Amino acid sequence: MTDVIETSGLTKRYGRVTALSDCTISVPEGRISALVGPNGAGKTTLLRLLAGLAAPTTGQAIVLGGTPRQDPAYLAEIGFLAQEAPLYRRRTAEDHIGIGAHLNPRWDGESVRARLSRVRIPLDRSVGTLSGGQRAQVALALTLAKQPGLLLLDEPLAALDPLARQRFLGTLAEAAAGGGPTVVLSSHLIADIERVCDHLILLSESRVQLCGDIETLLAEHRILTGPRKDTTGIARTHAIVREDTTTRQTTLLVRLNGPVIDPAWAVDEANLEEIVLAYMSQDDPDYSTDRKFTRLSAVGGHR
Amino acid sequence: MTWVTWQQYRYQVAFAAALLAVLAVVLLITGLHAAAVWDSALTHCASDHSCALAGSSLSLGSPIIATLVLATAAVPALPGLLWGAPTVATELETGTNQFAWTQSITRRRWLAVRAGWLLLATAVLAGAVSAVVTWWSGPYNALNADAFQVNHFDVTGVVPVGYAIFAMALGICAGTLLRRTLPALGIALAGFVGVRLVIALWLRLHYMTPVTVYYKLTAPFTPPGSYLLVTNGFVGPDGKPAALDYNVPNYNGVALPSACVHATQNSPNPQAVLPCLAAHGYRASVTFQPASRFWAFQGIETGIFVVLAAVLIGITFLVLRRRDA
Repeated sequence: MTDVIETSGLTKRYGRVTALSDCTISVPEGRISALVGPNGAGKTTLLRLLAGLAAPTTGQAIVLGGTPRQDPAYLAEIGFLAQEAPLYRRRTAEDHIGIGAHLNPRWDGESVRARLSRVRIPLDRSVGTLSGGQRAQVALALTLAKQPGLLLLDEPLAALDPLARQRFLGTLAEAAAGGGPTVVLSSHLIADIERVCDHLILLSESRVQLCGDIETLLAEHRILTGPRKDTTGIARTHAIVREDTTTRQTTLLVRLNGPVIDPAWAVDEANLEEIVLAYMSQDDPDYSTDRKFTRLSAVGGHR
Repeated sequence: MTWVTWQQYRYQVAFAAALLAVLAVVLLITGLHAAAVWDSALTHCASDHSCALAGSSLSLGSPIIATLVLATAAVPALPGLLWGAPTVATELETGTNQFAWTQSITRRRWLAVRAGWLLLATAVLAGAVSAVVTWWSGPYNALNADAFQVNHFDVTGVVPVGYAIFAMALGICAGTLLRRTLPALGIALAGFVGVRLVIALWLRLHYMTPVTVYYKLTAPFTPPGSYLLVTNGFVGPDGKPAALDYNVPNYNGVALPSACVHATQNSPNPQAVLPCLAAHGYRASVTFQPASRFWAFQGIETGIFVVLAAVLIGITFLVLRRRDA
């Protein structure tokens, strides 16, 4: 299976600020990949680099067999939906269909009309008068009309209410099914991601923490619960992602590297949200002080 | 992209065309009237051999219209400020550039087509206004011999086209560099006014080596037609421009020899003073650009503004290519 996206050491600095650092990921063809991470982790930067809207400081991205560049043939293959779905507010959806028809070699304007009439969004009202959810739908339909090989969506769900989110994801899943585009979608909403995505990229502190198929990630991670005890035995074989210690017990989220042999640990499956949160809180100062606090109280208890 | 550009600017273009039509009608009516007055005055004076119309108090029409014509000096700047400054800046401000620049068109081509049409539109608009104003000004310039003066030179001929192209390029460039419409508009306005003033009031005088004529004080000389004055003044007996000193007995700043002070008896009047100064070796000089250079100057000035515009457009392309969207 070929990779639609393959980056190595992709880094983007804005002055002294590093927005994305040494990002190496691969996304196979046909995946719907969720790009998750805290605010400011570099999600938008990564998507913009892939779309060719920004150039990397160092490193390289290979997207659909070439580097992102200012070239009509490349741009024709990329569907990009920016944060907050920017459209010309005073123009109608129909105007946008016309603009797309004139700027793209491949353009299915009829599909936009069909999609929007299905969700009852008027084509002849200026986009600025539509609700946020409707506007996101219009923007997604326009992006899909390009019939891109790769769809890059930046926080498309953020401004939507639950019903609008459901509709949006419905449209997306339908478009991606059966030979549709590979999708990368950034979001904070893990429950929604679990419904449609089969691949995950986790960025934190401008670095890649995780990248892989969700099924594999779920199989690789386990929650271990046991009496408060030394974890060096576990750490010898497995990678401890997060450790929570109370006076009575220790809870670990580990990335497995073989079976857990020590019978003192109860092994449970981890869900996606637990895995994501564990990785995201690795560098979280709040979490660190928390841990320090629990350790101190544990010492007190021992005495 | 041409279609897209037209879609985005059709209302502005229609509005500008409507304003142009109104201006054209007003100038056509008043211009025909002025031409008729001028012609009948010429016919009259020819019949009684008294043609000394230049500088006379003949009224060709309302001064309000003359003020309106003077106000067309602003026309070349307006499309550049109102269409040029926002054309990239508003896209960046609202994020719509992310929609436009992820269609199957490069940023370079997007800018080339859009800037190209805007430059053409502003050139046509300024050219049309200038054509009407130039025709309208005909009788006035003949009467007052003032075609080369700043208030006429700058609104007639081809220079308004050069100004308009420059203003548009400046607006687009400022909008691209600053990424915000209002600051870009302010910078473009300040830049346009600044460059125009420096060129109109200083640089223009030096496009070609001016002509200097020395003349006797007793036989005043005025260059023929609508010349452009560079400088004039008295020339001392030593052949150098006379130093000006208003603290001694003087005539227009020229210190009077004691013989001439006596001649004027504290009330300097030209009849007595000028022959006296002339007798003491004083002359006068006038340095000017002759009326015949009008079109050469129009061409040079238009060229300067077009070159400035080309530089600004080049910078815009460079910035758009080098910088992230």
